[in-house]
Amino acid sequence: MAIDPKYVGRTYGPYKYEVGLEKLREFAYSVAGGAPSTGFTGGPPPGLNPLLWDEEAAKKGPYGTVIAFPTFPVTFAIKPFGAAIGDKDLGVNVLMLVHGEQEFELFDVIRPGDVMTTTGKISKIYGKGGMDFLVVETESKNQTGKLVVKGVWTAVIRQK
Amino acid sequence: MAKDIQVGTTFKHERTCTKYQPIYYAGGSGDFNPIHIDDEVGRKAGLGGVILQGLCTFAWLAETVTEFQQDPGKIRKIRARFSRPVVIGDTLTYEAKVTGIEGGKFHAEVVAKNQKGEEVLKGAALEVSL
Repeated sequence: MAIDPKYVGRTYGPYKYEVGLEKLREFAYSVAGGAPSTGFTGGPPPGLNPLLWDEEAAKKGPYGTVIAFPTFPVTFAIKPFGAAIGDKDLGVNVLMLVHGEQEFELFDVIRPGDVMTTTGKISKIYGKGGMDFLVVETESKNQTGKLVVKGVWTAVIRQK
Repeated sequence: MAKDIQVGTTFKHERTCTKYQPIYYAGGSGDFNPIHIDDEVGRKAGLGGVILQGLCTFAWLAETVTEFQQDPGKIRKIRARFSRPVVIGDTLTYEAKVTGIEGGKFHAEVVAKNQKGEEVLKGAALEVSL
């Protein structure tokens, strides 16, 4: 059963997310193959760029603080995408769903203490080759009102 | 350390999906979809077992350039289609090539393949500040 295209334009949010130093580190550790733990286990995986975890090195670096790994927005900017997928009106069968495509446009770095506000809207619904495509576009701004990241999230759902 | 980046410049990156990587990435990112952490769910879905989160493969795509530039703050755009699942034991090789330079940024296209030579991403591309 195809998703009704009348839902294009439906919006979700705003969702607030508080960025913490330890979470930035944990995310960076996990991408680099290490356990996402800063309090329990040992330090970062060997060779991890210090700008992602070392406050002293980051202070002297180009950004002045530890910064997020560039795909860190997946931890908070996904909310509207999840909301659309779970929206009972759309009737998406999650058992038939895979994450098909992802895009980020990054306008600034993300730092500890930033407060991100994310909104999203369904931008496209279409069918192709026996699959439904659901595309959600998100915008996340920080506490100064600056647009920091735009996301385009595409789910592909097998029609039954 | 400035890298001499020109059209045609290439760089590579490699990552292996270890047994614990989907668990580590679940903890780091919040994606606890059972298909990534429960072999039984993966088998029932016809995948043979767990598969790695697509966004981890996507993060490793970003790593390709953050490692090359030794600066994780320079990516302006990143995109990719997820074309094939990645499973425990897969080693992914990312091969990037600079295809254009303009306005203080370079564009790179990236081919990501597993150890069998199968592409796990399609249309992978980056726009990065110099």
